[in-house]
Amino acid sequence: MSKAGKAWDPGNPDRLYIITSGRSRTGKQAKLDLVTLVVARADPDPGLQPEHSAIVQMCDYPLSVAEISAYLTLPVSTVTVLVTDLLKEDQVEARPPVPVAALPNVQLLEAVMHGLQNL
Amino acid sequence: MAGTGSSQQGRRPASSLIWLVPPVVLAVCTAAAALLTPDGARVPALWCGTAATLAVAVTSSETARRGRVIDALRRRSAEQEAVLRHRLVQQEAETQRLARELLPAAVRMLQQGASTEEVLREVAPRTSLDPSFLAAHRAVLRSVLEAVQAEEGLRESAHRAFVNIARRVQAIVHQQATDLREMEDRHGNSPEVFGDLLHLDHETALVGRLADSIAVLGGSRPGRQWKNPVPLYNVLRGAMSRIMDYRRVDLHSVADVAVVGPGVEPLIHALAELLDNATRYSPPQTRVHLTAVEVQSGVAVEIEDAGVGLTDEARRRAEAVLEIADRGLDLNDLGETPRLGLAVVSKLAKTYAFRVSLRPSAYGGVRAVLIVPEDLTTPSATPGGEIARAATLPPPKIRKKPGRPLPDLPFDAQAVASHSSGGLPQRRRRAPGLAARGVRAGAAAPAAAPRHQPPAEPPPQPGMWLAAFTSAVNGEARPAGSGGPNSDESSDEKE
Repeated sequence: MSKAGKAWDPGNPDRLYIITSGRSRTGKQAKLDLVTLVVARADPDPGLQPEHSAIVQMCDYPLSVAEISAYLTLPVSTVTVLVTDLLKEDQVEARPPVPVAALPNVQLLEAVMHGLQNL
Repeated sequence: MAGTGSSQQGRRPASSLIWLVPPVVLAVCTAAAALLTPDGARVPALWCGTAATLAVAVTSSETARRGRVIDALRRRSAEQEAVLRHRLVQQEAETQRLARELLPAAVRMLQQGASTEEVLREVAPRTSLDPSFLAAHRAVLRSVLEAVQAEEGLRESAHRAFVNIARRVQAIVHQQATDLREMEDRHGNSPEVFGDLLHLDHETALVGRLADSIAVLGGSRPGRQWKNPVPLYNVLRGAMSRIMDYRRVDLHSVADVAVVGPGVEPLIHALAELLDNATRYSPPQTRVHLTAVEVQSGVAVEIEDAGVGLTDEARRRAEAVLEIADRGLDLNDLGETPRLGLAVVSKLAKTYAFRVSLRPSAYGGVRAVLIVPEDLTTPSATPGGEIARAATLPPPKIRKKPGRPLPDLPFDAQAVASHSSGGLPQRRRRAPGLAARGVRAGAAAPAAAPRHQPPAEPPPQPGMWLAAFTSAVNGEARPAGSGGPNSDESSDEKE
């Protein structure tokens, strides 16, 4: 990763749209966040596209989408598309971050906090 | 009587004999008449006879002389005619030689860069001919050569202008592609902008290919130069990225070799043109198959489409284009809808010793095979390309086996959340203002962090999540939903 910034320029004729076949956004069903943790379910299938198999290989330990993006020097949107592909094929598993709805209301928390401090 | 020419000496006696016949006969007659006539008339008869004999002698000798002169003249004219005819034949042959041999040779030499004077010296006509005729020939040759040279010069300058413009477009396109790539990195978070950028990127690549084509046809090399070998897989994808319908191309198995730097760009370009043909001349719902296998003499890249295929005549024409299009860009050949593809492929194939053939495909379409010579390939250092190498590069913490704890993480010691003996995170006092918004900012930070930070150090924010995650994982073997413990920690961190 020492030449992360140069990984593309001197030695790679690929363009980003080729990697995702022109898709820039995922379907509605997959809500991948920057902090969604991705973990591989098995070793990569041999037939996978290199980017896919790289993700599967990296994610034998859980990695966030942001980290994958950094290691592959690919933009987050591209990684999201790739991870969505893998999710569809059951190659990886995504662990969503804490859903916002499940978090207690901020006002409530503040009220509780202030209440506690006032005790 | 005399002086008809020394060559007629041998024939003189016969003709001189012939002219003597009438006067002799007349003299004999005169003598006979003088003998037969009576004495009184003898003298006048003798005079008359003698006069007549003399007159006849003069006349016949004159006649004979003229005959000889005519004879001589006829002979001489026949000789002259023979000489002239011979010369005519020679001149005709020389003119034909000029038309058939000298002019093409001269033009060829001229096109190879020789000057007019050199060419004239080189293709000299035969010297056995009339000097004035030779001079005329040389003048014809010179004027033709000058015309050809003027035309060549014109074409040359048109070439140069074309190549020059193409070069400038290439430079702009390259710069734009680099900029777009940066923008794609910058806006990787917002799918709308990112999608638009990809779209622009693709169209920029199409413009770049057109500029490359013009440069190649103008005798220049295609745009970029690559220093290091590039894996064939990436080369093929690079070729795919430069055509309109890249989504229809199925990239199948690819031989695990790399292409040496100088061969990369021509190969990408030639393959892009072949792929463009394949996608353009097959129905839009069909797929185009792209494979690469190693063969004895190098690597064979196959492009197979399911189009209508080439008729025999079309195939012959296409192969003719592949054969002859090495003379460079001819502006006259660029019609209203220029079809550059095969000409470009042929030109590149000539320069880089690719072998290209178009055959009927089993799918019914065309199967184009391009064989990359062995000296342009090299064993691949990173099978699968840059991405595959990147996958092995993450720092050590990524290489941990799942399920093992991460006690030695550098940021674990100074973790924000301290743990109690029971393993549960303990609450830490903070200023009350830092509420949930702080987490939001923390979540957004990693997007920017990986790009700007030195990559050897893992970004801390994901690491915090990781620590929380692993501790949760270690608590019980992979909980079904990370919501329970995680939400505790999150709310804890928030305070």
